[in-house]
Amino acid sequence: MFVDARTLPPKFIIDADVCIVGAGAAGITLARDLCGGTRKIALLESGNFDFDADTQKLYAGEVVGHAYTPLDRDRLRYLGGTTNHWQGSCRPFDALDLADWPFGVDELAPFYRQADDICQLSSHTFEPMDWSSEEARPLELGEGASLKNGVFLYSPPTRFGTAYRNDLAAAAGLTVYLNANLLQIDTDDAGTGVSGLQVACLNGNRGRARARFYVLAAGGIENARLLLNADQVQKSGLGNQYDLVGRYFMDHPFVPLAATIVAHAASPQMRFYDHHVVRGQIIEGYLSASDEVRRKEKLPPFAIGIRPAGVNVNEGVGNLRLPPALRNMMSENIANRLTYYLPRLLNRMETPVTWINDRLWLNPPGAYTTVYTCGADPDPASRVTLTNTLDALGMRETRLDWRLPADLERNMHRAHELLAQELGRSGTGRLRIESSATTGYDPMEDLGEGHHHMGTTRMHDDPRRGVVDADSRVHGIGNLFIAGSSVFPSYACDDPTMTIVALALRLSSHLKSALG
Amino acid sequence: MRKTRRVVLACLACTPGLPLMLRAGSGFATGDGGELDAAMLRSLVADPRRARLLGYRYRAQFPAEDHPDVLTDLIRSSLGLPDGRVAAITRASLLSVLDARVRSEFGVGNIVGVDGWLLARTEARLCALCE
Repeated sequence: MFVDARTLPPKFIIDADVCIVGAGAAGITLARDLCGGTRKIALLESGNFDFDADTQKLYAGEVVGHAYTPLDRDRLRYLGGTTNHWQGSCRPFDALDLADWPFGVDELAPFYRQADDICQLSSHTFEPMDWSSEEARPLELGEGASLKNGVFLYSPPTRFGTAYRNDLAAAAGLTVYLNANLLQIDTDDAGTGVSGLQVACLNGNRGRARARFYVLAAGGIENARLLLNADQVQKSGLGNQYDLVGRYFMDHPFVPLAATIVAHAASPQMRFYDHHVVRGQIIEGYLSASDEVRRKEKLPPFAIGIRPAGVNVNEGVGNLRLPPALRNMMSENIANRLTYYLPRLLNRMETPVTWINDRLWLNPPGAYTTVYTCGADPDPASRVTLTNTLDALGMRETRLDWRLPADLERNMHRAHELLAQELGRSGTGRLRIESSATTGYDPMEDLGEGHHHMGTTRMHDDPRRGVVDADSRVHGIGNLFIAGSSVFPSYACDDPTMTIVALALRLSSHLKSALG
Repeated sequence: MRKTRRVVLACLACTPGLPLMLRAGSGFATGDGGELDAAMLRSLVADPRRARLLGYRYRAQFPAEDHPDVLTDLIRSSLGLPDGRVAAITRASLLSVLDARVRSEFGVGNIVGVDGWLLARTEARLCALCE
């Protein structure tokens, strides 16, 4: 059932067994999985069914340090959350990716399988050779090769608010409160348990939510903001007794034009590492360091994709960048839909698109460029804090200070050396690394981010090293949990959404046990 | 703007590896007992003009190799033809030997960066020989 919180009586009270804050990938997954039986679930969503400019402004904040997309553009604040402009890339983390987590890949595996379905993938296999075809096949990497193949599967992409709206409306025991913003987290005097949530609407209506368990699922930046703003009892913010909330912010550095490759025209090996369709599923191959080389050379997890020279490698096929003037003429929601659905439609018309591309950009046969993205060691100086500027509800806004890994360029260079070796060894082609000294172009000029917000409430068994424990419960607070990528203690080179969904399912399983 | 620049760069930079760089054909001019000299090696290169650009850079990077005789010896040596004799070898088989050598150098990481290109040592020397 959906309820518009603006229409509730003044000083309304919401009672539930579990109250979830935020209806994005994590919150919707959690709510859908928890409901059933006699359980009463409340899902608070700040926005409505569609984009609203005033609500979106609640995401405004300040960016210091390395350049970053403005915080009120990077995320979306309505039903479905940021999945409303998700590109759809999916891949489960592997054992090495989870080395710093309190549990291993076996723990997540069953939840990943469910996450495949929730993300509407057509297959459960992430084995590159399962996606090999005559037209597009991975490089044949011999035993002991420095690189390994991987594959991303693309969700349609699932807009969680649209795809699961009917489920949310019909689910027994579930109420989704729209236009309901979390204003303050109230605790007992000792700060060891949440006693309720103060809820506010932009029209001035206010109320309160009470539950046995509370889950913050508001996003990788917002979760930290909500904890830091909750400073009535614990003056540095809830769960922040060791000054960890907001620290270790992580995103994927993304370099869109790192190197040029010259290979045979229409090379099936080159095509594999770009977006393409296999048996109706959009996939994209990538190359990364073998586990052995990654350990030996202390390389970060990285993924190299390959695009034909001339294609808009900055965004890829799955994301058409609209001219700002055109975007401004449309509502954000329409612009986002057009931005994501049109290229996907075109992507399915492979032959015409190739034809247009060849002629429009005079694409020389056999010239390709690489796109590089990577993880990095978590950095406590990379962080989310609060400013003294208040939003329309009186909450302090966010300040983001994203720090790039110090060895980013060195590792990117090394990754491309490994790729050049494999291209040469296999006779596929040759690679030229872009640099201001040789080609006159410095790839770092166009370095961007993956728009993946992670790590600000990191998971660790030791409260001195993490904000939440292995069950995603905030250390020291018995009934407050966190869902979403803010709990990632480290990250791979992947889009986090699929892991967010898997973790939400895992948390749901834990809460079901706790509820009895 | 960048797209155009990238395309131009890619066209200009058409310096692919041996599969594309070496000149195919059967007109190799060595007979029994012939010696693989600098001229013969140069004749294998399909686009000497572009190879010269890379060769110039390579020689500047490795001045100890900045002489045709030195380069020729090093290439012959790397091909397992230390005395330079190429008795009964056809152009196709020499290309095959070169290709195998270059792939092997890539495989073991015997590569060199020349003007941003990451090349096998032997193919870089071949370019330098054209300079």
